[in-house]
Amino acid sequence: MSQKISLKGAERKVFSTAINDGLWDILLGCFFLIFALAPFLSTRLGDFWSSVVFLPFWLLVFLIVQWLRKHMVTPRVGVVKFGQARRTKLRKFAVVMLAVNVIVFIFGLVAAMSFGRVTGQIYTITLGLIFLIGFSVAAYFLDFNRLYFYGLLVGLSFLGGEWLWARGYASHHGFPITFGTTAGIMILVGLAVFVRLLRDNPAPIEEIPSEEA
Amino acid sequence: MVSPQADPQLHPLADIDQVIHAPARLMVLTYLYVVESADYVFLIRLTGLTWGNLATHLAKLEEAGYIAINKEFKGKKPHTTISLTKQGRSAFREYKKSLQQVLDDLPD
Repeated sequence: MSQKISLKGAERKVFSTAINDGLWDILLGCFFLIFALAPFLSTRLGDFWSSVVFLPFWLLVFLIVQWLRKHMVTPRVGVVKFGQARRTKLRKFAVVMLAVNVIVFIFGLVAAMSFGRVTGQIYTITLGLIFLIGFSVAAYFLDFNRLYFYGLLVGLSFLGGEWLWARGYASHHGFPITFGTTAGIMILVGLAVFVRLLRDNPAPIEEIPSEEA
Repeated sequence: MVSPQADPQLHPLADIDQVIHAPARLMVLTYLYVVESADYVFLIRLTGLTWGNLATHLAKLEEAGYIAINKEFKGKKPHTTISLTKQGRSAFREYKKSLQQVLDDLPD
């Protein structure tokens, strides 16, 4: 045996076993699906209502994911309480993500106030970069390498969409195409991971009462 | 089995904690060392041990006072969570240290 036993590696495996069920990918995919569909609705309903109608959609997806996690994933994967090191890492992650969100909010506010001086392209490129950084930070803190790829996809969705739109290849800043593709990839990856988890663990393991164990 | 009388160089091997030294138990303890607690299903999934096998190893670890097994019911289903005791945590640290020491001291 030439492989080293690493406590860090063991901890990472614990964390990845607990969270890598594909459902986070599906949830994220459904979130970015809103970016793809919202432009169509906003022309009919306006910006405000087009945002509002997605809330029940996302809430429904969230509830379905929670149900799947409780009834299909947990009986197969089990339950773990993370150790101190991971809890500290998650707290740091929450703080960093809060900071990223505040930056996005301030940036949005500044862009809205100086509308006309900040061009759509600069706004979109900056947003793409912020998402890329946000996802990379999340990937680093969560040891979840797929998030680097997703960050790249989301960043490219902003840039690619703007590029398609500027050349007249697509409407609505190209977002329906680029974010539709990104969301589709995330949902497909999520489904593949989820189905593999169910396939590899076909029957939920029932705990044997202690006398029989 | 190490015979310390046979070769004084191998004396430290006899001091290695045999409860931890079994591969399956070492694996279980390694995972428990990095978490606060985990249930049976999670440990089975991580270690790849069968239910009966895991139960046997856990019983030995519990007997040595290295783990605490907490049994409860979630609805009508039994649910068991396992965590490392303070004694288990320090035994694991000690085991790691002594194994490293023994291997480092072995001549090439």
